[in-house]
Amino acid sequence: MSEQRPNASGRTDRARDAAPGPGPADDFVENGSGGAGRDSDEPSLEWLGELKSDADDPELSPVDPAVTQAFEAMLEEGERIERPASASAPVPAPAPAPFVEPFGGPGDPSMGGQPPMEVTPEFARALAEEGTSVPAPPSPPAPPASPAGDPAYTAPDLNGSGAPEPSVPDAPGVSGTGPQPAVGTGPQPVVGTGTGPQPVVSTGPQPSLDPGSDPLAQGPLGTGPQPALGTGPQYVQPITGSDGPNTGPQPAVNGPGTGPLPAVEGPGTGPQPAVGPNTGPQPAVNGPGTGPQPAVNGPGTGPQPAVNGPGTGPQSAIDGPGTGPQPAITGTGPQPVVDGPGFGPGPGTGPQPAVVPVEPGTDTVAIAAASPERPQPYAELGMKEEEYRRVREILGRRPTSSELAIYSVMWSEHCSYKSSRVHLRQFGDKAPKTDALLVGMGENAGVVDIGQGWAVTFKVESHNHPSYVEPYQGAATGVGGIVRDIMSMGARPIAVMDSLRFGPADALDTQRVLPGVVAGVGGYGNSLGLPNIGGETVFDACYAQNPLVNALCVGVLKHDEIQRAIAPGPGNKVILFGATTGPDGIGGASVLASATFDEESHQKRPSVQVGDPFMEKLLIECCLELFAEDLVVGIQDLGAAGVSCATTELAAAGTGGMHVDLDTVPLRDATLRPEEILMSESQERMMAVVTPDKVDRFMEICGRWEIPATVIGTVTDTGRLVMTWRGETIVDIPPGTAADEGPVYERPYAPPHDLGALQSDTPGRLTRPTSGDELRRTVLWLAGSPNLASKTWVTSQYDRYVLGNTVLAMPDNAGVVRVDDESGLGIALSLDGNGRYTRLDPYAGAQLALSEAYRNVAATGARPLAVTNCLNFGSPEDPGVMWQFARAVEGLADACRYLGVPVTGGNVSFYNQTGTTPINPTPVIGVLGVHDDVRRRVNMSLTSDGATIALLGETREEFGGSEWAHVVYGHLGGLPPLVDLKAESALAGVMIQAARDGLVTAVHDLSDGGLSQTLVESCLRGGLGARITLPGDPFVSLFSESVARAMVAVSPGAEARLAALCEAAGVPVTQIGVAGGDALSVTGRGAEGEQQELFSIPLAELREAHERMLPSYAN
Amino acid sequence: MDAARVGVITFPGSLDDKDAARAVRLAGAEPVALWHGDHDLRGVDAVVLPGGFSYGDYLRAGAIARFAPLMAEVVDAAKGGLPVLGICNGFQVLCESHLLPGALLPNAGLHFVCRDQRLSVENAETAWTSEYREGQELVIPIKNVDGRYVADRETLTELADSGRIVARYLDLNPNGSLDDIAGICNEAGNVVGLMPHPEHAAESLTGPSTDGLGFFTSIVKRLVNA
Repeated sequence: MSEQRPNASGRTDRARDAAPGPGPADDFVENGSGGAGRDSDEPSLEWLGELKSDADDPELSPVDPAVTQAFEAMLEEGERIERPASASAPVPAPAPAPFVEPFGGPGDPSMGGQPPMEVTPEFARALAEEGTSVPAPPSPPAPPASPAGDPAYTAPDLNGSGAPEPSVPDAPGVSGTGPQPAVGTGPQPVVGTGTGPQPVVSTGPQPSLDPGSDPLAQGPLGTGPQPALGTGPQYVQPITGSDGPNTGPQPAVNGPGTGPLPAVEGPGTGPQPAVGPNTGPQPAVNGPGTGPQPAVNGPGTGPQPAVNGPGTGPQSAIDGPGTGPQPAITGTGPQPVVDGPGFGPGPGTGPQPAVVPVEPGTDTVAIAAASPERPQPYAELGMKEEEYRRVREILGRRPTSSELAIYSVMWSEHCSYKSSRVHLRQFGDKAPKTDALLVGMGENAGVVDIGQGWAVTFKVESHNHPSYVEPYQGAATGVGGIVRDIMSMGARPIAVMDSLRFGPADALDTQRVLPGVVAGVGGYGNSLGLPNIGGETVFDACYAQNPLVNALCVGVLKHDEIQRAIAPGPGNKVILFGATTGPDGIGGASVLASATFDEESHQKRPSVQVGDPFMEKLLIECCLELFAEDLVVGIQDLGAAGVSCATTELAAAGTGGMHVDLDTVPLRDATLRPEEILMSESQERMMAVVTPDKVDRFMEICGRWEIPATVIGTVTDTGRLVMTWRGETIVDIPPGTAADEGPVYERPYAPPHDLGALQSDTPGRLTRPTSGDELRRTVLWLAGSPNLASKTWVTSQYDRYVLGNTVLAMPDNAGVVRVDDESGLGIALSLDGNGRYTRLDPYAGAQLALSEAYRNVAATGARPLAVTNCLNFGSPEDPGVMWQFARAVEGLADACRYLGVPVTGGNVSFYNQTGTTPINPTPVIGVLGVHDDVRRRVNMSLTSDGATIALLGETREEFGGSEWAHVVYGHLGGLPPLVDLKAESALAGVMIQAARDGLVTAVHDLSDGGLSQTLVESCLRGGLGARITLPGDPFVSLFSESVARAMVAVSPGAEARLAALCEAAGVPVTQIGVAGGDALSVTGRGAEGEQQELFSIPLAELREAHERMLPSYAN
Repeated sequence: MDAARVGVITFPGSLDDKDAARAVRLAGAEPVALWHGDHDLRGVDAVVLPGGFSYGDYLRAGAIARFAPLMAEVVDAAKGGLPVLGICNGFQVLCESHLLPGALLPNAGLHFVCRDQRLSVENAETAWTSEYREGQELVIPIKNVDGRYVADRETLTELADSGRIVARYLDLNPNGSLDDIAGICNEAGNVVGLMPHPEHAAESLTGPSTDGLGFFTSIVKRLVNA
């Protein structure tokens, strides 16, 4: 047995799996409410109780006649069947519904027409955390609990009463009416209706630059939930409230030249009184139109009316030329490159007219210093009171609204990792010694040496919450974001992968979310020309209102091409290039802006960003040319928190100072306020730091790719990030305080109170199939169940060929991509996770995900090198969730150290929950491996007639969290399979060596669904049957999910060499059959212990069962 | 004689340009990168318009690329007999340029479709298919979202009668193309548009077959023999 070092805790009693017994006999500390007594609001446990009491009931059998009948009917008729309506037997909850669990409960009114899409406060928060804002719920926030309580434990309903689905699955239009019109329109997010052919043609190719007239940008969101955006806080214009009528005009007072400003450090210090109406400079600053200005801040009134008053400079200036919101864009014509060494006022820069006085309402540093008591909406921006107080301490005054925008977003969970940081440190502390890591965690993505002068960078990131609100754009921009991360390391992106999790396959809302997400991942990745080489598609009720969309990108570069996110060298120019900045994903900042300006329009900001993959494709090519000519000294992509994040992070990592003139940021909506510009998450933007002598050449290359580029600032050595707007200083902060010195929380954690009960409810009591016929049906049942069925419906929407280097792609063990045409150097990547395992034991669950990805990569013959991860969890404020997180991180860090594969980077997504019910904790782990020569890769297809089939590894009786228990009983309990890293490592060594020496013609790992599913997949993929003899108990042999196992087809004559290799490595090897024929035939121990043919399934029947599931629900 | 020079045009949004260049190289010719904004075909002996989403396929697939400066040169040269192969997006551009009749609309299923597609070669006498024999079956990847070939019935009849249907889909029509049309050519046979991607079936390591290489060896042979 293995020494099993990293698995020391968390499982003390393996025997429990086999011998069910009540009681939370476990080494976890149970909190007060654990144990037997349960609150009534825990339907899960009631259900479990029911299960237990029925454990001995012979009726509780997977081969219940009603079910069998229905199942066979399905197989024979080739139709999608409804749940057996005739389930007359009083089957208790866990009786098997073929293929899927119902969503919600019977008679749930919300299931009738429109798919429900609730935006609960928790969700809104989560969305904001994920870099997207969401409308606050309508004023009486009515977040109804998820239908029928906790869907994760809703038992399959056999009584037919909850069968509203029949008409829906075949009518995609039904769900299309809701929030995702973009799905139907395909991948053209920015086809503005206003782009008539003429202007487009004559100005050259910039149709994408017309987003202002883009109906789709608003479209998907303008419907349902959107209008609620930002209604909650209704922040009242503070000027009048706090300072009274006399202070009205002060915004304009402190023009650039007025001295006292910098001195205004302490709140409430002297200078303010001087800022009276009598101070002279006003007229100079405000220019000719100032007359009405004072009225703006007139006593007691809201500012709005005055804004539109006669003669106010800014107003007419903004709306002046052209009616469309983006005159600047159409005006750029042939030279989209806007070089602004002279900054704003230049006539060519677009949105900004020559002289722009400060609008009323702009909160400047001077005003902030002068009005320390002004209330600020930090809570609405998600900041805790102590965080706000800390900002005031740092600045020595209250922050301006722009500064507040920066801090609130930089200190959000999403950007600062404030809850996870204390745990994530382990990835560094426990990192195995390796020379392969060229850049570790902390940069945009880690960089790994793969030899021959090549390096690889890869990372996975979540876009879960946006993908629930607007599946197409949420998923599309998820891909776009991770691709820019890879670009900003200096790499050429070469492939993407996606790990997707949805609610039950037959749930109405899944039919809204799944097609949109798949089309979005495909629409964006396909248009970028990046092959999608693998991933996962998983269904589970726990993701019903919180789908997981994790996207991975991998890029390659030469060692000397690594770029960094730094801004060194005073005098260097800061260039913003790519798409223009619009009101995308601003939501939260509208609180700041709408309080002072044009309330209505600013409340209706779209909350999910809209992607333009065409612009991103141009950005990729443009960046690679910029890198090739060594034109940048630092680069950063703009993702969450947009300009705020890029400027603070670049400045903090560079010389320390930066001056930015926000007026120069090219806008697609000229009414944007500075706070909104800072927080905008408009896609396809990058920021570069360039020495002055290279600015011209930089602009030239951007021009060749027709990419707008603008100098917006300069690197300084002041240690301050200073931003100006209309000549006023609106931001003046030490950038490190926003970028690196965010709050760090050590949140309390304790095991979830139901964990003990969950772990002691083992699958040992579930009735197992025994006869050949029962086993046969179970094989087919699993092969056609949502999680194990063919995912061709998904993957055929992804381009796996583009770039011409894809050697293996889904559904193979791992994606394999050639890096070097000549030498055959290449990489392998696999992305795996298992929320059920992790729910049962987070420490083991994270290790099992790593194990599987590691095994998958090695199965192709690649040497595993490095790890990335996307940690999807519920709310960190829930101690149970925090405990799951802490344990999972610890497990992953320990296992990475043991296997010698460092974590190079990753992403944490918290607040994945519906109401107070978190998702199953779902760490998704990506493992990168290297092939010295991809021509020696091995795939999973059984193709060699007569080849010996062998099983590597040891099979134990392990069904906790298994697909079998999940599919047949909807059961989740017990403990997951034993982690065995030593065996995993040994198996990988064998598979790598066997591939290198040509000892095997096919290798396929065993994981979800066990040997049964592995055989099904390898037979169908290769189009060849197999005759298998099971070595032990047939049920355990077929369906157990023990780790560190793989099936191999041995090259003719290589049997002895393979056996010797396995023996040397200590890997058990068992010959289990021969490839051939057109059926999967299985022999094994019969009821009386004699060897007999248990069953035989023609490949055609197998294929039918395996391939029908998704199209029947998703199309 | 020197190796034949086959140009591959890069439009903004072209994706399979390097892949097409690789296939040209594997076929024994020299690939020459051509830029959409130039007016110069650089003296190439043949031109490939590669797959991708030129200009994001905004407005309509191929509709904007058709106005690229270099396309004026391509249209003139094609009318003068220069061999031109449009693959996927390239096919769309050729239709938009009126070098080929008909149009390519969104797939019947409205999804992007990527699959290994069986085809039959219907015309083995074009500049790009002479290495095949008529009726030969190929497996070549198809991957597009706007691949449904349509034309009026008169045009379809004319195409069929004059042998200008170059390839048809077998087994399954992946996008609803009329008459299962996967590729067509002009009257002279020098301009071919093809929805499947032969450049992705040029190496056994990365493709489902090497069946696509014939399109490139056909042109190379023709140019060498010319």
